[in-house]
Amino acid sequence: MPRKISFKQAINEALDLEMSRDPTVILMGEDIVGGAGSPGEMDAWGGVLGVTKGLYAKYGNRLMDTPLSESAYIGAAIGAAACGMRPVAELMFLDFMGVCFDQILNQAAKFRYMFGGKAETPVVIRAMVGAGFRAAAQHSQMLTPIFTHVPGLKVVCPSNAYDAKGLLIQSIRDNDPVIFCEHKNLYGHEADVPEEPYTIPFGEAEVVRDGKDVTIVSYGLTVHRALDAAEKLNANNISAEVIDLRTLSPIDWDTVIESVESTGRLVVVDEANPRCSIATDVAAHVAQHAFGALKAAPQMVTAPHTPVPFSPVLEDLYIPTSDAIAAAASKLIGRAAAR
Amino acid sequence: MAPTVGIIANPASARDIRRVVASATGLQIADRANIVLRVLAAVASCGIEEVLVMPETGGIRGHVVRGIERWRNQREKRYPHVTFLDMPVTGTVEDTKLAARLMHSAGVACIVVLGGDGTHRAVASECGRVPIAGISTGTNNAFPDHREPTITGLATGLAVMEHIPEHVAFCANKRLDVVVNGLPPEHALVDVALVTDAYVGARALWRTHTFRELYVTFADPQVIGMAGIAGLIEPVSRKEAGGLMMRLAPAANAKLVVRAPIAPGLIDLIGIDEWRRMPADTSFEPCLKEGSIALDGERELFFSRHDQVSIKLVENAFRIVDVAGVMQFAAHHGLLRSEQSHLAEATT
Amino acid sequence: MPENPFPLSKPDLQKAYRIMRTIREFEERLHVEFAKGDIPGFVHLYAGEEACAAGIMLHLTDRDRIASTHRGHGHCIAKGVGVREMMAEIYGKATGACHGKGGSMHIADLGKGMMGANGILGAGAPLICGAGIAAKFRGDGGVGITFFGDGASNQGMVLESMNLAAIWNLPVIFVVENNGYAESTSVDYATAVDSYIDRASGFGLPGVSVDGTDFFGVYEAAGEIIRRAREGGGPSLLECKMIRFFGHFEGDAQTYKAKNENEDNRAHRDCLKSFAVRVTQAGVIGSEELEAIDREVGRLIDEAVASAKAAPLPTPRDLVTDVYVSY
Repeated sequence: MPRKISFKQAINEALDLEMSRDPTVILMGEDIVGGAGSPGEMDAWGGVLGVTKGLYAKYGNRLMDTPLSESAYIGAAIGAAACGMRPVAELMFLDFMGVCFDQILNQAAKFRYMFGGKAETPVVIRAMVGAGFRAAAQHSQMLTPIFTHVPGLKVVCPSNAYDAKGLLIQSIRDNDPVIFCEHKNLYGHEADVPEEPYTIPFGEAEVVRDGKDVTIVSYGLTVHRALDAAEKLNANNISAEVIDLRTLSPIDWDTVIESVESTGRLVVVDEANPRCSIATDVAAHVAQHAFGALKAAPQMVTAPHTPVPFSPVLEDLYIPTSDAIAAAASKLIGRAAAR
Repeated sequence: MAPTVGIIANPASARDIRRVVASATGLQIADRANIVLRVLAAVASCGIEEVLVMPETGGIRGHVVRGIERWRNQREKRYPHVTFLDMPVTGTVEDTKLAARLMHSAGVACIVVLGGDGTHRAVASECGRVPIAGISTGTNNAFPDHREPTITGLATGLAVMEHIPEHVAFCANKRLDVVVNGLPPEHALVDVALVTDAYVGARALWRTHTFRELYVTFADPQVIGMAGIAGLIEPVSRKEAGGLMMRLAPAANAKLVVRAPIAPGLIDLIGIDEWRRMPADTSFEPCLKEGSIALDGERELFFSRHDQVSIKLVENAFRIVDVAGVMQFAAHHGLLRSEQSHLAEATT
Repeated sequence: MPENPFPLSKPDLQKAYRIMRTIREFEERLHVEFAKGDIPGFVHLYAGEEACAAGIMLHLTDRDRIASTHRGHGHCIAKGVGVREMMAEIYGKATGACHGKGGSMHIADLGKGMMGANGILGAGAPLICGAGIAAKFRGDGGVGITFFGDGASNQGMVLESMNLAAIWNLPVIFVVENNGYAESTSVDYATAVDSYIDRASGFGLPGVSVDGTDFFGVYEAAGEIIRRAREGGGPSLLECKMIRFFGHFEGDAQTYKAKNENEDNRAHRDCLKSFAVRVTQAGVIGSEELEAIDREVGRLIDEAVASAKAAPLPTPRDLVTDVYVSY
């Protein structure tokens, strides 16, 4: 029976269901329980934004609070995965990849290939991504392109609570290393989510709105901006099809190509910085494989080539807005943007 | 010209398996360097101007040099002039032996040693009549006295500056000589133990069921290790003639059992079959036919039934600075006390 | 028949010798073959360091894990990875331990608990913490051992891992293979606190230092340390002081070494020679028995090289396989 729960609760449920089903699932991360070694209570935090709260009471020492040692504990999660466990490690902010990237890039991603197919590294690294929290430059990035670039990693970025639960369960059951990106500004977003476990396959995008004039592709928070833009375009009689990629590696090219072959126009919306982003990736791929179908050059709507600013008025300009998305789509159709 | 003093600080003592099979700790390199600085300051305060130091690659040198620089930069005359011996560093006990030989040739009046029983043994084997002032930075440290190093340094300075009569400043120490197949003797300052493990391996002694014979130059219930085992049976002081010799057995089989601290935090049962005083200058052949010989608590040699082994206690084998004696003498004779003349009147 | 004075049985002593001889001949042969130009990429030879690998690995079984370094052939052989498969891998052939996809620096055999040689120095330390976590959850008494050099001991992730292992009381051992050089930089320069034991105690682990060229010294110390870890006594650090006969990599001119350093080491600090002298002197193994092992090992290496040279190369299809379990 589906009921309305938040994205954050959906994550918690997915972890709970998988931990109860599979004793090799363990969690580790900074303050995922909170209170370790302190005079006060345990489970004081349950994660910095409370995502893992309540799990300690059920699973005890299968949740391991870690010291500020990303290299060590992310590496330990990877090592434990290579030894038959299914760890879900939390890298609190994906921005912190800098202090543990070797273990992800040169170890987890490459074991299977370097060892001739003899290694399995079923580790999930959950991390918060995205801007809009006023958390400034070092806690707000959308670094999905960097991980998508690396062969051997899978990259998942749900846009809603339903997808979050199904994709996280899928990630935990998957036998490859998965970077599971949780947009911090979506934690409160609610959707209908079934109580029972379910999975969503990787490499399957979802057409979240049908349309025939222009294809708008996105992932994460900006899917919602794209949907808002589609409403505005609709008022101007422009019918926009919105595609939520859901997973960036593997990526569902078929759905995107099929849509562009039908609409002939592409707008890619990406909260990442513009150079070498998901936007450039999708635009180039479509240009190469569906050039004949295109009536106009693909448009990319991205964050600017800057770090994320602090001041709210600036940060609000940083993330692609629904107006900017609608304007880009309208440009393709040659009509003025909806007001 | 003031006499020269030598300092040999071993960076590698207190690093062996007793950190795992017992609760032994190791003094950090920085702390060993601080001890050297304490000694340097103390001897300088007695008027010593030149000190020779053994070089090593364990890190002590760097800290000592930085320490001296720092005070020199503050224009304080706290330390004497320090020269590191010009010698190759191998990182083995050979360095200690070579340094002691070189200091002996250079005519130092005393060698201050930072190390455990093994380090002191290596110095004693090469220093001739040059007295040793021992500072314990090893594991069991039965030989060197446990004492604040600044006092050891002070006593050393006073002793070599000849403010103290020789018979007070220095005292004679016994030694055990082990001869295998007529080769030049190996020495031990505290104990020679024969154990059934006929391999050197990780060197330390902790498997008490392998202990078979023990010879000690002194037996002291206040130390740990072999001399401590002996001390709990029949104490023999460092100043008494002779030592003690014992036949040991696995605790389950022995006539008598003693509960003894054999390493830091490690108290175990030792089986004793018999013991007697060990007279000096008498060679004894062990009953054990094969096994290894531990000198001052570390397995060094192994022997089989084809080897000829003999053990002898030697009196007055080397000298040490009698720190307690020196300081008592200094206090009673006011050596560090002097009248302040017009200065005192001006301030009252 | 003289009694065996050693803490290993005669078969185990023979095994120890065989392991060390195999490593030595493997590396010496690679040195020769590499100079011919047939071997692609980089190789880093372990010759001279055999006593460390053998003395430690003899205490391990397949349920114990090790993580190795770029200089990993010795660890692989001592842990039981097949010599033929290793040689074929180094030659980049399809029959190699990693089907030619990894090369010398990435040989692994997870079935034998060998979590890979690693081209990233110090990267094994966090991974072995993971192996320790897995062993604790399984309760199988397994241990993890991570090898790294004097240079890599300065890598942040190694230090982080020591702290992590200490706070979680993991059954892991950090082995510092101190051969005095990090590539061409001496340990005297690169390490501020010249004692790894001080570092270990700084992180709350006991540390023990042994002469890494003495098989029995390594064997006895490693035995106590591993037993402690198995029994829930937690992590420790073992420093093995050793020497490497060759350069950092093959092709290294080694001008940072002292004149005649390599010759002196081969003459006076050869762990195989000292092992052979010890066991023959004690009358436990005869020199003809050792020579027989030498001959067998020689044949094994010859076969391995011949079969590696004759083995098929990977096909273009192999380029894109085994990136993922499924995609």
